[in-house]
This record gives sequence, structure tokens and C-alpha cells, in this order.
Amino acid sequence: MMKGKEREITIEPITRIEGHLGVHVKIDTEARRITDAYAYSPMFRGFEIILRGREPFDAVMITQRSCGVCPVPHALASVTAVDQVYGVSPPPMGVALRDLVHGAEQLYDAEVGVLNLEGPDYSEIAVKKFNPEWWEEAQKTKAPGSDVHGFAAIADIMTALNPLAGELYLRSLLVQKAGHNMASIFGAKHPHVHSFVPGGIAKINLSASDVESYLTLLMRHVAFAKELVTVTDDLLDFVLEQGYEDVGARAANLGSVGAYNDPAAYSAKYEEMTDWARKRLVSPGVILDGGLVTTDLVEFNVGVREFIGRGWYSSEWEHEVEADPLGNKIMKEHPWNKRTIPKPGEYGKWESLYSWVTATRWWHWKGDGKNHVIELGPLARMWVTAKAGLVPESTGNSLKFELPAALIPGFKYAGAMEFEWKIPEKPNAVERIRARAYYHAYSAYCMLNLVMAGLELLKAGKADVWTPYEKPKEGIGFGAIEAMRGACSHWCVMKNGVIHNYQYQAPTTWNASCRDPEEKPGPYEEALIQTPITEAGESEGWKGIDVVRAIRSFDPCLGCAVHVHIGKQIVKHELLPFAVPL
Amino acid sequence: MTLEEINLIWLEGQDCAGCTISIKQASNPTLIDVLTGAIPGLGGLKLAYHPTLMFEWGEDAAKILVDAIEGKYDPFVLILEGAIPEEAKAAPGVYCVIGEYEEKLLKLSDTIDGLSKKCAAAVAIGTCASYGGIPHGNPNPTGAKGLLDYLGKGWKGALGLPVICIPGCPPRPDNIVQVLGHAVLAARGIAPLPELDEWHRPTYLYGSTAHELCPICGFYSGGVDAHAFGETGCLGALGCKGIITNCNASTTWMDGYGGCTRTGVPCFGCADPSFPDTPTSPFFAKAPAGPFIKETMKGTWSHMMMGLARLHRRKI
Repeated sequence: MMKGKEREITIEPITRIEGHLGVHVKIDTEARRITDAYAYSPMFRGFEIILRGREPFDAVMITQRSCGVCPVPHALASVTAVDQVYGVSPPPMGVALRDLVHGAEQLYDAEVGVLNLEGPDYSEIAVKKFNPEWWEEAQKTKAPGSDVHGFAAIADIMTALNPLAGELYLRSLLVQKAGHNMASIFGAKHPHVHSFVPGGIAKINLSASDVESYLTLLMRHVAFAKELVTVTDDLLDFVLEQGYEDVGARAANLGSVGAYNDPAAYSAKYEEMTDWARKRLVSPGVILDGGLVTTDLVEFNVGVREFIGRGWYSSEWEHEVEADPLGNKIMKEHPWNKRTIPKPGEYGKWESLYSWVTATRWWHWKGDGKNHVIELGPLARMWVTAKAGLVPESTGNSLKFELPAALIPGFKYAGAMEFEWKIPEKPNAVERIRARAYYHAYSAYCMLNLVMAGLELLKAGKADVWTPYEKPKEGIGFGAIEAMRGACSHWCVMKNGVIHNYQYQAPTTWNASCRDPEEKPGPYEEALIQTPITEAGESEGWKGIDVVRAIRSFDPCLGCAVHVHIGKQIVKHELLPFAVPL
Repeated sequence: MTLEEINLIWLEGQDCAGCTISIKQASNPTLIDVLTGAIPGLGGLKLAYHPTLMFEWGEDAAKILVDAIEGKYDPFVLILEGAIPEEAKAAPGVYCVIGEYEEKLLKLSDTIDGLSKKCAAAVAIGTCASYGGIPHGNPNPTGAKGLLDYLGKGWKGALGLPVICIPGCPPRPDNIVQVLGHAVLAARGIAPLPELDEWHRPTYLYGSTAHELCPICGFYSGGVDAHAFGETGCLGALGCKGIITNCNASTTWMDGYGGCTRTGVPCFGCADPSFPDTPTSPFFAKAPAGPFIKETMKGTWSHMMMGLARLHRRKI
């Protein structure tokens, strides 16, 4: 027992992938710190069970339906895995169009994440209520970037983030539509794009005018990126100055699988994956204790271990796959072996099984041999890309790039702008949000380059979008790509022409993972433990805004119910506000 | 029942939020137009409960559901996104909990049981909420059902309407907002009551197949089949299920962009009640030949007559 008063807060409900998230925390009210935390999911659908016995092809369409917010990375990871299973390499144009659809989704998702999901936690309404002393200060503090975004004081930015009323909140809702439109040009629809097929993409009548439509919409995001990054920097620098660096903080143990394939390099082949994955515009890699330990996607894959931990599942499955196609040893907990065997258990038993999310860890098999808790998401992938030096924009401690001038009515800044995202001191709530805004700008920059690559291909007469294939009877595949809030990784084993085992990890799977067999907490749990409480007032009245901000910084996809307990007595039931806008 | 103010209670069950993401892309009208009352006849709608949109939180939020079950939010429309699992199969655990009130778990199924006794009308958005969709896919691990099956085809709300289904995975953005808007206009006597088919779909949006509405359907009547993705031609040989799927997403997705077959993607029946099982799956296996043969036989005769009819100069 702790010395001070103890208070418990439960945040509930996440789906396995994107729906209903729950977090249960204990707070020492005298020290004003969170002392313990459990993240869990109270909803189960059983996708991996439904996939058994179906065509691997169908997994591309089924798995993206786990998440209506970020379906494209699922489709892309899945189609990569099935490319490998079928042994087919898409033509460069097929790869470029898949990239363009992916980028389009990231643009909408980042805007919604920063301004409509996380932003309202720092809006006038929230700040006045929970951190009134910030509001006084914000009114007096000039916004350094006001020539770009037009807001004179920090308080004006906060007002613009008020849900359903603030200028930034509402404009984001309008601008984000362009992302769905861009995805629909080559994806047929969004959410849930239908054009991703093994061997390429199903797009007819491809012409420069499709690319032009895409580019027109892209320029709106380019224009918006300048405002988004500047406004986010101004707001978050202010929040840090109020002493917010420890909220949601954890050690720099991070992972990225990379994103935005090089159309000329991607072959889908597992044997060549190290090379083509390193040529992605967003780099793959793992950072342990601040140091980059690998940029090899094969090494990443071999190190993935999905333990049942405290999840409501059985761990009784066979060790069928013993080596990857390159001969590396594959463990029993690797998703090529893991099975989904649900074992529903009682709700709210924190000392026992408590979640529908498993405990995924990264085994540093070429290094210390330990299983590490790693965080995924925009902060992790920007960090890895900045450190890895695999792209020209990477300086070793920052990522530097420029967006061109664009005079578009309705947007406030027409000039070209240089961006430099610098590796922060440590991962915390504020830096996760900042990285999401910069990732928006970097994605817009990458898409501009890919549009040009697409036009070059058209000019060179390389307009083929699909490679025919002969489907084999047996096959194994792995596909992984970054989603907005983490990474999608898919593993498929085909026998007799149908799915023998299909396992996948959603962006939330890593971050929301539960206690593992060594009792190590998952990333959400780590970030919450030791988070200070800045919320004004007596503990009885706390709504848990700091908990909400820490969790929101990871950008979980949906709304969660928060229940506040004091000791054993429940006094309040709360719903996290503003999860997904309109 | 006075209908000047109507509450909307939107629940998310075994869902992916794709339908919510879809409706926020709607253009004609936009969701903001609807919620601000900018469209004549559509004023007075209040989004009383949406787990991802609502402003209220805390006990206030859970209490809305409990109060609505007691009739304190009448008149209200129950909107469901996602399927409903069979909680008995989950014992001693849970498959879908949507909140907690006074130490009692609010399971999705119990909440629907309560709300369906009071609601003015019930609308199922998306294939999961309508017919079970992906969670209901074979072997249906959680015993998932759609609202139509859960409440039954004979169920009627306080306004006398049965469950209205808007299938699609997700449905087109404008489909969702227009069906909801139309239902309100009809309830207020401004528009005619929507005609529903045997699967409780409004016929004005779902009365034709994706094939009938297909922008490249001319290639079928012209006898040009595509045999590779990216090749321009009828997508039937690549597995298009448009001929058995009532859906208008073949035309465009939104704002003139996309559209399944228009882009070159064979329809795989995500709006069909059978989705994701046979006959819509395997998704890229050919659709049953019957409907094609029937249409071809009818079409051959009609094409001859249509050709002959064009030999005569039109008198104007």
C-alpha cells in the first residue's frame, strides 16, 4: 500500500484493433502521481478465426475491416504478405499507386488526430476547466508563428481547438475530406479500399488526369501542413513550459517497420526485404535505450514475439514454422506460429487475465537476447528515420525537408516552408503529438515525390498496374507498413491453396499490449506509470485529464469510457470526450 | 408523438468505426449541415449519444442510455453501427461492453434490448449492423448478428416502421446521411415513407444492382471482358459480384471520385446480406452464372429489337 490516498481510474472500452480501449490506473493523490496502470480491450470479433480456410487474396479485403480509421495500412501489409505467399512482384506503377493511396490516408488521419482527437484536450474549454492557471498565461503569451497561422496569442489557438466550434477544429474536418477523395481515386473508396490486389492494383484507364486530380487535392494538404505544424509547435512549446514533460513519458524504446515503398526497389520478395525496406521513404528500425540497433526489417520480423501474457486466450499451439525463408530461427511465439484461441475471462481482474489484447514484445535476438517493450507510432518512426540516415532528409538527429509554395484560397500561408523535426529528449505526450503534425508534413512531401515518380513512369510508358501470377499451393508471407498510430504487420501461412494460419497485429496491438510473462507492462501502461497529475482541484473532483492526454497522445482510434473510483467506491463514470470527430 | 425535436442515439457494437468515418465525408448534405439544422425540415435533430462524438462524458454519458431506456429521451431514433455478439457464448467473460453504470456493465445486447422497446425507429448502418457482416463470417466465433435478425423482421418502432438497413462496408457517405435525413422528413410528413425491400433496404438507393448502375457496364453488353486487373472491360470474368449485389457504390464513392467498378475493382458484394460468405466469397471467384445467363438471354433478344428500332429515323 502506498502512503498517500489511493484513487483508481478505469478507462473503458478498445477493440482488439481500433474500437474499445480500456485503461485502469491507480493514483497516489498526495504525491499526485500515477503508481500503476493496466491497458485492456473489452471487445472481441475473432478476425483471425474467420480468416482460416479462406483465400489469402480475401484477407486483403477482410483484415482492413478491423479498422475504419486506418484501413489502408492493413490492406497494404496484407497485400504485401499475400504478394509473398503467391510469389508475385507488382510493377513499379502498382507500387506507386498503392503508396499514393497510403499517403492520402495518412494525411487525413494526422489532421484528424492532432486537431480533432488530441487538440480538444488542450482547447480553451479543457484548459479553463482543468488547468486554469495555463489559461491566464496563454492569454499573455504571444504565438511565435502568428504570421503563418494568424493566431496572435496561445489562448487564441486554444479557442480554435474547441470541439465543433473552433476554427481549427472545423477546418480540419473540411480539409480531411480531401484525403478520402485522394484515396478513392486509386482505391475506389475509403474507408476500406478495394483496389489492392496481389500483384499490384486494380485500376483501369489510368491517365495523367488521375494523377492531376490527386495532385490538386494533395496541394491543399501541403498548404494546410504549414499551418498545422506551426500551430502545433506554438501550442506544445507553451504546454511544455508549463511543466508537462513527464506526462506520458517512457524510455526511448521504439520501433518502425517503415513506409512509402520505392516503386523501383520493391520486389515483395522476403529474401530481398532488407534492401527494399531500407529504401522506404520512412525507415524501418528499432531503437533501444535511445540507440539504433537495427534497420533490417528481416531482423525486426524474426524478433516479433506475441505472448498471450494476461490476454483472454489459450497459448496451446504447435511450433510449426521453425525458420523463415532465409533460414533464421523462428520462435514459437512468432505470429507465423501463434494461433488465436479465445478463452473469455472475468472482467476487471487486474491481478489475473484482463484483456483481449496480447503482449507483443521485440526479441533482440542479435543482441542482448531479451524481450523489449517497444512503442510504435509517428514519434517512433520519425525518430528511427532521423537517426538511420537512409534517406537524404535524415541528418542523424533530425529530419529536414521543404514544402513548395502554394497559393490556395482558404489557406493562410502561401510561401514555401522548410521543416526540421528534431529528436526530442524523451518520448512523452507532447512529443507524440508534435511528431504526428510533422509526419503529416513529411507525408505530404513524400507524396509530392511519389506523384512525380508516377508521372515519370507514365511518361516512360510503364503504366502497367498489375503482374499476372500462377497461384502456388503452399506459401508463407510477411507484410508490414506504418499506420498513423503504430504499425500493421501481417503474417500468412497458406496450405492447399487456402489460409492455414493468418495472424496480424494492428497499430494498437503493440502500444496497448498487456503485462507479459515477465510482468513487464506494455507501452500505454509504462507511459502512464509515474505520470504526474497536473489537474487542478481536489482529488475527489479529478476527471483524469492527464491520463486522457497521455493515452490520447498515442492516438487510440476510438472513444473510451472512463470510470473514476476512489478506493473501492466508484464515484464517477466518465466517457473520454472527443474521440473521433463527426 | 411530437417530432419537433428528435434525439439520435448512435451505438457502436462489434464495429470498426468505418461507418462513422464514412458519414463524416458526406457532402449532400454534410453532417455539420444536419446537426446545425441548416437544412429546412431537418432541424431539431440532437445527437444525444455517439460514443465518439458526444460532448458529455462522465456519469452523464452512461446515464443517457439508462434514461433513454426509461423513456426520458423520447422521441429518439436508435442507430447501430457494428454487429451484436451473443454474450452467452462469452461466459464468464464478455464480447462487447459499451460502458458501465453504477458498477453494472452495460453490455451491447442488453442496451439494445432496452432501447428497442422505446425507440421511434431503428436504423442499422453498415453490413455488420444490418446483417452481421464480417463478425458474422463463418464460423461466426462470437455468434454475431445484425439488428434485423436480432430484433426480427416483424419488429416495429413507435412510429410503426420496421428496422431500416443501410448496408455497405461502409455504405457510401451520402447514402447514410440521406437515409437518415429521409427518415426524419418522412416521420414529419414532409417526404413519402421510404419503400423498403425484403432486406429492409430503401429501394431508392438499393433497388438496382451494382451491375445495373455500373459506369462500365457497356463493356458487358458490348461483349468485352477484362482478363487482367487494369484491363478495361467488364470485370465479370475477374470475379465481379455486381450482378448479385444491390448497391450504388459502383457509380462513384464521393464528390465524383472513386466508385468500385468505375475504378476497375470487381464488386465483391460487401453490401450483400451474405457478405463475407458464399456466394460473395471467395471475393474474386466468379459470381454464379445464372444471373448472367438470364440477363444475356433477355439482352440478346432486346439488343436485336433495339438495333432494329434504330434503323428508323426518329420523328420529332
